[in-house]
Amino acid sequence: MSKRTLPRILQTPSVLLLLVWMLVPLSMTLYFSFIRYVLNSSIRPEWTTPALSNWRGLGNYKYVLDAKDFWFAIQNSVLIVSSILIITVVLGLGIAVLINRNFPGRGIVRVLLISPFFVMPAVNAVLWINMILDPVLGLQGLAVDGLNSLIDGLRDFPILGWFFNLWPVLEPISFRATQTSAYAVIMMVAWQWTPFAVLIFMTSLQSEDESQKEAATLDGASPWSQFINLTVPHLARPIAIVVMIQSIFHLSLYAEIEIVSRGNGNKNLPYLIGEFTSNNIGAASATGIFAVILANIIAIFLLRMVGKTLMD
Amino acid sequence: MATVSQTSKFSKIAWPIAAWVVALIFFFPIFWLVFTSFKTDADAVKPEFLFKFTPTLENYTNMTQNYNYWKFATNSVITSTFATLFALIVGVPAAYAMAFDPSRHTKDILMWMLSTKMLPAAAVLYPMTFLTKNMLGIFDTHFLVILVLCLINLPIVIWMLFTYFKEIPKEIIEAGKMDGVSTWGEIKDILIPLAWGGIASTALLTFIFCWNEAYWTVRLTTIDAATLSKLIEGNRAPEGLFFGRLSAVSTAAVAPIIILGWFCQKQLVQGLTFGAVK
Repeated sequence: MSKRTLPRILQTPSVLLLLVWMLVPLSMTLYFSFIRYVLNSSIRPEWTTPALSNWRGLGNYKYVLDAKDFWFAIQNSVLIVSSILIITVVLGLGIAVLINRNFPGRGIVRVLLISPFFVMPAVNAVLWINMILDPVLGLQGLAVDGLNSLIDGLRDFPILGWFFNLWPVLEPISFRATQTSAYAVIMMVAWQWTPFAVLIFMTSLQSEDESQKEAATLDGASPWSQFINLTVPHLARPIAIVVMIQSIFHLSLYAEIEIVSRGNGNKNLPYLIGEFTSNNIGAASATGIFAVILANIIAIFLLRMVGKTLMD
Repeated sequence: MATVSQTSKFSKIAWPIAAWVVALIFFFPIFWLVFTSFKTDADAVKPEFLFKFTPTLENYTNMTQNYNYWKFATNSVITSTFATLFALIVGVPAAYAMAFDPSRHTKDILMWMLSTKMLPAAAVLYPMTFLTKNMLGIFDTHFLVILVLCLINLPIVIWMLFTYFKEIPKEIIEAGKMDGVSTWGEIKDILIPLAWGGIASTALLTFIFCWNEAYWTVRLTTIDAATLSKLIEGNRAPEGLFFGRLSAVSTAAVAPIIILGWFCQKQLVQGLTFGAVK
């Protein structure tokens, strides 16, 4: 047996499994994206079985590109993903700096902070949309009610009453509505993923060169300028990684969108694929190929970055 | 100088307080979920019982009858455990070979494995349904869920194990070879005991990912192999009449994982960033 045979044998099962997992379904998607294929059709029953004779060329792609929902889904994905990214990176940086020093109970603070990350997506969505954000029964509804009655009481107040009379009655926001459901998703996902950003930034902060900071302090640099000139450059790489990993995850959000509003006013490509899949497989597949292309653009950057550190 | 010591005195108190406040805010939704789970459904939606109420365990004792909780929980345990186990069985030898006998393709293979993880699942939704339902007839079986969970986590498993194994001095393995130990013996008697901590945390993290998976476990099951993700997604209770029982079943679904998660915070960074952040 040659020296190279054994390592190959040991790697074969993994490689084969992943190869099949990647190639078989994806090539089916690719095939379906070029044919007319629907699940139910009384007029054209021949379209209900996948066959080369139903060839449509780029027709499905054109159909998808002309669909209003497709552009809405792209636009909405950009809104959701970029909002979550901005919130998690900014909050993550702040919190990581905040807890990156010794204080009593630091271990417990870390444990409390990381917990949201382990909540399963379905529970996250159910918890936020019902118990917290519900306009009547959730904490939001109760808080708005409480504020209203507080203001109401103050209206009768002598002297200052006129000021409170200027205040309108507050209305709770329904986060299941078309205009707001995306914001509910942004909120709950940002809550879940900020801990992830904190954890990564904190790990990276711990490897920061302390002597550099001490020298800066001796030179009279303010804490803020130290943060901007030393810490942020040191964190550039972790920030890039947090951004890319989150982008890949959040481009395929599903459970949250489904639970909050069933896609009402709030779609992304995976959700659109799900909707097409109920009948128009050709369009679903073409959308799937677009989603793959989109994810690949981000993945290439991420893999380049990861690859650099791989062998050292 | 006086101002300096004043600032540091101030920050000595203010920083911990700020940190604690932030941590409590982030933990609050989880606290609220657990808190609500001890209220009856009727109490849970009444403002007068917001903080003062008679705690009850009825939501937990009725979990079986309201939601058939244990069936879904059992499915989650079975699928997550076996998927983790299979991923390790396939992944340990592969990572071992890559770490101790790297070829010039090893880097490319690892990168390619990672790239499979980045394919959007939705893109292959229909083919997966079609294959498993119409062609293989394994739709809604434990076997299918285990297989899929194993496959989507295999890249992370191999990657994490690879980074752990790389830390082990090659000489130890070489010494084993000189003594005429077989490959299986090397893995079993030298590698696994040495890398035990790394393997355990890889297993823990994989288990967590499997448990929380919410796309395939929902799309590829109906009843028989449905996991807790499916149970919760199916009982979203939009009218909010059942906050108490919904909170109880949600708490039961996430509590074990949150506690497991506390034990592998450190490994989480490595597992999720593929060793790119140290």
